[in-house]
Amino acid sequence: MSSWLDYTINGLIVGNVYALVAVGLALIFGVSRLINFAQGSIYLVGAYIGWVAVVQLHTPLPLTIIFVAVVAALVGLIIERFGLRPLQNSVRIAPLLATIGISFVLDQLVMLTFSPNPRALPSQLPDVRFQVGGGTIGPLDLLIAGVGISSALLLFVFLRYSKLGWAVRAASQDRDAAMQMGVDVNRVNQAVFGIAAALGGVSGLLVGMYYNQIDTAMSLQATLKGVVAEVVGGAGNVPGAVVGSLLLGLVESYGVAVFGTSYRNLFAFLLLVVVLVLRPNGLFASARQAPPEPLTGTFIAPSRPVRIPRWALLVAVAVFAILPLLPVSFYVLQTLINAWLLGMLALSLTLVAGTIGQVSLGHAALLAIGAYTSALLSLTLSVPVGLAIIAGGLMSAALGTILISPSFRLRGHYVSIATLAIGEIVSLVILNWESVTRGPIGISGIPPLSLFGYDLIDPKSVYWFSFTVMVVLALLQARLLSSHLGRSFRAIRDDDIAARAYGLSLNRYKSLAFIFGGFAAGVSGGIAAHLYSYINHETFNTQQSILALTVVILGGLGNVVGAVVGAVALVGLPEVFRIAAEYRILIYGIVLLLLVRFRPQGLLGTI
Amino acid sequence: MTTGAPEPLLALTNVNTFYGQAQVHFDLSITVGRGHIVCLLGGNASGKSTTMKIILGLVKPRSGEVTFDGASLIGLTTPQIVRRGIASVPEARRLFADMSVRENILMGAFVRNDREAIARDLDKMLTLFPKLGQRLSQRAGSLSGGEQQMVAMARALMSRPRMIVMDEPTMGLSPLYVDRVLELIRTINQEGVSVFMVEQNASLALEIAHEAYVLQTGKIVLSGSARTLKDDPRVRDAYLGGSEAA
Repeated sequence: MSSWLDYTINGLIVGNVYALVAVGLALIFGVSRLINFAQGSIYLVGAYIGWVAVVQLHTPLPLTIIFVAVVAALVGLIIERFGLRPLQNSVRIAPLLATIGISFVLDQLVMLTFSPNPRALPSQLPDVRFQVGGGTIGPLDLLIAGVGISSALLLFVFLRYSKLGWAVRAASQDRDAAMQMGVDVNRVNQAVFGIAAALGGVSGLLVGMYYNQIDTAMSLQATLKGVVAEVVGGAGNVPGAVVGSLLLGLVESYGVAVFGTSYRNLFAFLLLVVVLVLRPNGLFASARQAPPEPLTGTFIAPSRPVRIPRWALLVAVAVFAILPLLPVSFYVLQTLINAWLLGMLALSLTLVAGTIGQVSLGHAALLAIGAYTSALLSLTLSVPVGLAIIAGGLMSAALGTILISPSFRLRGHYVSIATLAIGEIVSLVILNWESVTRGPIGISGIPPLSLFGYDLIDPKSVYWFSFTVMVVLALLQARLLSSHLGRSFRAIRDDDIAARAYGLSLNRYKSLAFIFGGFAAGVSGGIAAHLYSYINHETFNTQQSILALTVVILGGLGNVVGAVVGAVALVGLPEVFRIAAEYRILIYGIVLLLLVRFRPQGLLGTI
Repeated sequence: MTTGAPEPLLALTNVNTFYGQAQVHFDLSITVGRGHIVCLLGGNASGKSTTMKIILGLVKPRSGEVTFDGASLIGLTTPQIVRRGIASVPEARRLFADMSVRENILMGAFVRNDREAIARDLDKMLTLFPKLGQRLSQRAGSLSGGEQQMVAMARALMSRPRMIVMDEPTMGLSPLYVDRVLELIRTINQEGVSVFMVEQNASLALEIAHEAYVLQTGKIVLSGSARTLKDDPRVRDAYLGGSEAA
């Protein structure tokens, strides 16, 4: 019964929903050059507000839509006023990180309020379908199309004919010049966030009705899809975002038709990577240039790092080395093992994001590559675990670098988007490549850690093993950074054009950073696989990528000691304060927000 | 350092400005008399453009006073300052490239609400800048540099300002347009608008200015009427020689 026309209709309907998210992202990017990673959270809020309205308040449909739009707009205004406006004069990475923190907080608040279990969101519309040509169309399809088209019209009228709309357009082309015409940029930001949030919220409501199900995982997916559509259309280009969304909807729908549902997202991210690599300004960037990313090191907060005397570091290493000999509980060791594993990931990310300035949002993919390689080698080919872990590190280094290399010519925000997409692609390939990865079932029965034939099962030996590996990696990285390589990395971060003018090959140095970083992350993933004994495609997810980024920012970008300190703090402190697991992500989000606001250079300072 | 005008329209008094650790202005004092054209001369990195930004509230001075028509501008936002009656022609024009010429000119009237008077003023701009008449629906970014300068000036005038500040209005223009721009500045001034302009091209600026200041690494080293400065050997050596040769 599913004809091509059906897939086309489905693609356009889903595209309409994406458009509501993407248009908001484009408006915000236009005015403040910011990719709002909290957009999906507003969409989530919209869906749940809609649920409250429909299921508990029994509001009629038009009222439900208005109610959702108004509440979502309020949330948007609050985010703008309290989350982002204080960061106006901050470094450019600050608002980006703040929106990530805000999205963590909002998602967790929704989850804590409504529980993570999916809920049904009835559409209140009659369940009939009309025959159209070879396909069918229902009232909900028409509603979504209607809302999409009327929102686009309203937005067009607003931007074209209202004074505030003119201000939005002027500010998005030249913020300073607009201010000199008397435009109050704060009001413009407010308007844009309010509109974006209203559209995003309604989008969440409609999607909830379309699938008759809402759950808290919707948020990240919506952000990702919106970002894909927006970038495909050209960042900051509002009509482009609409076309990009419809295109994305169609690509996904046809992709599903040919290959099956589990491939849906793979097409979205492949489309993104292809567009980013081939046309980073978007498909419709003929007349306008994509706004330039900063040329100099304003993306990352400059600071003077805290100097830690060598003896203090030695003492700290010694204390942690003899800790298992002291009467400490199994629980403390377990916590610290987690901290060492996260520390390795943070070492990797602090090199890539901090030292060479490529803020990766998909670092968990490197963990996954290392983990799967090591697990499969030891399980199917009986490779000794120690060697398998090293092979995992090497595979992560090689594959990670190859995957990211097409994006080497991107800068700033675009690097973050590309790495996010690559991270998702890795996870989706793991999910779909069943003959090798065992797909959704995951890999179980992974042999435990062992070294030279001796199994490391008791927590003390696991502790020593992971601690030693981390210290060795940290020493190697410190050595690397004190050589001329470190200087070249930082030169590229601070001004890649100047660095190139001095003869540095950007691709070579970026590759080196990713090779080294990939190895550390892959080793961490490999150890984790043997420690957990079971992994699947969701073990190493975007949340971990963001957690690693929080750790790195907490410690100070580029700071080797800071990465380890950050990992211990972020893993350890919630344990010390016995914070229940469901509140942890909330805490991480709040930590990220506070850091960005009050100490963007981190505890130990950026190097 | 007063330049003869009884009550200045704009006065900067002992302004000190910093970018991080680096000091840009050292006790800068400048006045612009009502109905005058005042020119700030100086080479690269002398702090000229920062002076413009101070007046417009885009950069905040660490100390000192800025008054317009007797009232302090310190602490006001740029839009508030614009509403007080200061319009700007920014460096490199800074048009809204994707908006039409008409929209750009009308953006200048953003602070006004009198629709009919705005429409009349738009017509007036087209008599003042006749060339723009045929370009009204064109993308502003597609105009030539000289035409863009016309749009930027029309845009500034649309707010009915009492003063216009201009950052290097002749930079990058063909000689034909340079003369045209200077002529227009004079016309604008004759209609009662005070002008404060920052220029590198001293000989041209001194043609039309009433008073001028010379800024060197953040300090005023010379000031006075344009006529006396023009004959001052120090100005001639430092600025006029080079620009006349060019």
